[in-house]
Amino acid sequence: MAPLKSLERDYPIIDSEFQHFCAFHGIFTVEDFLIHDLNALVMFVWKQPNSERLKQGIDQICFLLESMHRPWLNGVALLKDAQQNKQNKHVFSIGNEGIDSFLHDGLREGRVIELVGPSSSGKTQVCLRAAASVAKLCEGGVVFLDTGNSFSVHRIACFVSQNSNSTSIEGSHETFEKVMSNISCCRVYDIFGLLDVLHQLECKLKCEMQAGDHLVRLLIIDSLSSLITPILGGGGPNGHALMISAGFLLKKLAHEYSLCVLVTNHMVGGEGGLPKPALGESWKGVPHVRLLLSRDHRASNGYSFSMLKY
Amino acid sequence: MAVREWIKTDETAEDLLSRVLRERPPLLLPPLHRLPLRAGNVVEVVGPSPCAKTQILIQVAVNSILPKEWKGVYYGGLEHSVMFIDLDCRFDILRLLQLLKHRIANAYGSTCLGSSKEVKQDQRDGKVWRFGAKEESDTGYEEDLIEICLRRFLYIRCYDSYEFLATLKTLHDKLQWSREELGTSVHFLMIDSIGAYYWVDRASTSLPLGAKDRKTLSLQSVTEAVVNEIRNILLVHPMLVLATKATIFGDKCATNDIKRKFSKWSSQDTLDQSMVGSGSENLSHREYMPSVWQSFVTYRIFVRPSFKQLSAANYDVTCEQVYLAEWLLPSLGITDKFAVTDAGIFMVT
Repeated sequence: MAPLKSLERDYPIIDSEFQHFCAFHGIFTVEDFLIHDLNALVMFVWKQPNSERLKQGIDQICFLLESMHRPWLNGVALLKDAQQNKQNKHVFSIGNEGIDSFLHDGLREGRVIELVGPSSSGKTQVCLRAAASVAKLCEGGVVFLDTGNSFSVHRIACFVSQNSNSTSIEGSHETFEKVMSNISCCRVYDIFGLLDVLHQLECKLKCEMQAGDHLVRLLIIDSLSSLITPILGGGGPNGHALMISAGFLLKKLAHEYSLCVLVTNHMVGGEGGLPKPALGESWKGVPHVRLLLSRDHRASNGYSFSMLKY
Repeated sequence: MAVREWIKTDETAEDLLSRVLRERPPLLLPPLHRLPLRAGNVVEVVGPSPCAKTQILIQVAVNSILPKEWKGVYYGGLEHSVMFIDLDCRFDILRLLQLLKHRIANAYGSTCLGSSKEVKQDQRDGKVWRFGAKEESDTGYEEDLIEICLRRFLYIRCYDSYEFLATLKTLHDKLQWSREELGTSVHFLMIDSIGAYYWVDRASTSLPLGAKDRKTLSLQSVTEAVVNEIRNILLVHPMLVLATKATIFGDKCATNDIKRKFSKWSSQDTLDQSMVGSGSENLSHREYMPSVWQSFVTYRIFVRPSFKQLSAANYDVTCEQVYLAEWLLPSLGITDKFAVTDAGIFMVT
């Protein structure tokens, strides 16, 4: 990614001589250093006439590599983070007591939660409900990525006004507008559009983080599977690579910017005709929690849910 | 006479054995207890997700970071540091804490009351918290111990192969630092899970820059670099490497498809499919990591849920999930059953 040439300006030790030495060993970028055995390289360095200077260059690269990974944390720091999240009420209610209790009091920051279920099992309804609830009760921003034109403003408005207890009409109208302005919706129709939007969101969140105001709390993608299914199959690894990249990007957003990510997935016919979640085995490793929604046939309007993975 | 003195035995084999057994308690808890694992080994835990792979790692970690004895209470830990490289980004510290508290409460309770039997029974139900000893124990005592333990747990999260490699490249310095700062050496290196970036690396291409003999970024070269780095580190810092690997071609019905699809794979990846079956429960596990990783692994255990499929229709949340563990390398031919509760992993007979 970063060619050695571009580093010359900031680090004078990586001069043309050093670059020439590296090029001789097939190293042109910092990433090339990663797949090279540095010990072997240092052995070569000692055979060179200007070994001291070359060694310094390698040390400089090692220092750069150090900054490429996240810092090591010990358990105490991790625990502090987790407990702070809890104290700061960074656990949002999804708006439904049953599902909340299932998820240990709701949506936790840093989590990727997948809602899976056959069509008309209430996935979108749960998403809309969660958006309304987070926007209203936590006053947090919600980003709703809509892939199937299923986002309904009316439904959200319904949810928002439903559980408002304020009696004065004017006051409620103001809060209503405020709540609704917390929710932003964006329509995406393919995986590349999704990756694009996610990268943009990452930039935006980075700026917000630096500025100190942190607004977005919940990211919803309804439905993620409809973007990914078309690119899977066909032999090559590219489809899966895109899927896993998107998955890791979601996890990164969730962890680094303290979001909660809610995605939906549909069901396909599996072994022996039993329905199973789409997107296959590789995707299973991505979400932290999988919630299975299904329609209860006994009650005309009842839905049931169960935990597939926790 | 001098010669006789010189060849005098220091200790007999029997003495040696009893000393070694005393000094080195069995390193790992079930289900990893069948083999004498030691530093320098690379153990791979394979299984379809979810099958308690991370849980096994956490269990080992907790056992490792606990002290052997602290303020007169025997905890039976190893007092070693653990390094946890999280490639899956799904580790939850609260889960580790929960397990740690269970272990502490257990040890504390059994010492105070002297009736380990009762505690064990309680432990089975995961209800140690209601045990009398817990309420009496001052919380400060417990918090100190927890902090001591958690200090020994080192964690890093990676989002792609570059970060993973950069982590490994700088691991040597980190290990030295932890040895000096913490005073304990790291005995476990855990990787969860090694196949996380498989698809991304397969499809990765590097920009064409200059020479022909440049190593290209691919699954093969990345895995080679990973193995090489770990091997180099193990030479200087002997550790037990525990890596999990999710099976990503698990489906039986899809096997035919996959065979056709991947017959075009490069010859570098030797694909071998091992059928793991006991009776009717046939489940195929397909090796997908390059051979350089496969040959690096010294022990391999296969873990799977005992139910045939966690299908939507018959999955019951309340029932206790039973898992099966089987050693593939070396193949012992024994299948252990274990269950996961709040208090950890327990063998089921």
